[in-house]
Amino acid sequence: MKWTPLGSRAALVEFAEPDPAATPARARAILRLLEAEGGETLADFSVAFDKVLLEFRNGADPSAQAAKWAKKFAALTPLPAAEARLHEIPVRYDGEDLIELGQRCGLTSEEVVAIHTAPIYDVAMLGFSPGFPYLEGLDPRLHAPRRANPRPRVPVGSVAVGGSHAGIYSVESPGGWHLLGTTDVRLFDPARREPNDEAMFLLRAGDRVKFVPVD
Amino acid sequence: MDVLEIVKPGAGASLQDFGRRGWKRFGVPPSGVMDRHAAAWANRLVGNADDAPVIELLLQGAELRVLEARRFAVTGAEADAELPAWCARTIPVGTRLTFAHHRCGLWTYVAVEGGFEAERILGSASAYPRGGIGRTLQPGDRLAALGEPNFKKVGDGWVFWSERRNYDEPPLLHVWRGPQWDWFDSMERTGFFAADWEVSNRSDRVGYRLEGARMNPPEGEMRSEPVLVGSIQVPPNGQPIVTMRDGPTVGGYPKIGLMDEESLSWLAQCRPGVRFRLALME
Repeated sequence: MKWTPLGSRAALVEFAEPDPAATPARARAILRLLEAEGGETLADFSVAFDKVLLEFRNGADPSAQAAKWAKKFAALTPLPAAEARLHEIPVRYDGEDLIELGQRCGLTSEEVVAIHTAPIYDVAMLGFSPGFPYLEGLDPRLHAPRRANPRPRVPVGSVAVGGSHAGIYSVESPGGWHLLGTTDVRLFDPARREPNDEAMFLLRAGDRVKFVPVD
Repeated sequence: MDVLEIVKPGAGASLQDFGRRGWKRFGVPPSGVMDRHAAAWANRLVGNADDAPVIELLLQGAELRVLEARRFAVTGAEADAELPAWCARTIPVGTRLTFAHHRCGLWTYVAVEGGFEAERILGSASAYPRGGIGRTLQPGDRLAALGEPNFKKVGDGWVFWSERRNYDEPPLLHVWRGPQWDWFDSMERTGFFAADWEVSNRSDRVGYRLEGARMNPPEGEMRSEPVLVGSIQVPPNGQPIVTMRDGPTVGGYPKIGLMDEESLSWLAQCRPGVRFRLALME
């Protein structure tokens, strides 16, 4: 594992596996460890794809602190997909870009829906907006560059694809992904506070997602 | 008890403290005051903890009406208010604090004795509009304060001269190496530290665009990775962007540097036209 100190109080640790398909299982194990043991020494942390950001509470040498964590990460047993939470997300495939994306990819709308609903996706990271998931596992037939003119406002609950990822807009925001449909499931809801504040977020990195078409 | 009414928010007004920590893995940025130095001094002037919630005003145009006689403090960008920047005094009921003529800096802080009452969401009172969290202040909004006013303090309280800042004359801003530092060749790095930079007017609490030199972004695609506030990314158009406090928690552009926390407060107050240089921290 490689690590880079960032300023005086943070570091980025890279944990790429030789087989990229094994990376989500390692990420899950690292997140579980940090959630259990990170509180005392870390002010914050996050995982995205094959990197962990560690923000330290104390001013000790960040490189040395990162080295200690990297050693722990390397020793972890990866957590297989079966141990991840699986969320089924109901989707109305009524998105504004469904037909256009199909045409660009040489597919009918029915084919786009079938291809989009087939895989079980891995949540590789949450970012962009609170609770917005970057989902790995999108069929290459639906890979498409982002829209040349991003929309100033994409409605909350829009189910979309961009580049090699699928995602769901967790709040209303600007966005350049192709809109395939809509879900009523809220990925981020500040009013959901039971049993604790983590309930505001439907997904966490390492979870798995399956889209289910509904009328 | 309500102590202050927002008559006009001006170019932008919100409640901010020192931000939220511990939610980055869910995509929640820290938010919080853009200039920690100024916000901390506003709180100190009225006897609060450095990180108590304050009103953060952008530029000019705000008008606030005092509803209860208390000590108020103003710091940061100077805007010709009845209450000058870097000063605290007891303000009588009914007084209107107007921030009309903007002179230097971008962000002004208003603190009240006892501290503003504010709901903590994910551990912080800071407004984060994109997430629908916290309070962006609107005309007619009223804010309450904690505790009772203490009328034993009289006269003006001032921040020491040495701690007041002239935001039109920033010092050298300090930058650490970014995670993709090695991707930039030595010509690019030299140019980065030799250029006179300024903040573009296309800047906000999410990101500050820098103008001054056009960088050549390095070759090669990178995958998105976690981003710290203060990260200096170089997108394909070669115009660096500094991630500010409401900025995204992940990013996919190469990062040449990371602004040091002290310098970040200075940068936050640099309005377009104010030139500054960058220096490497080791």
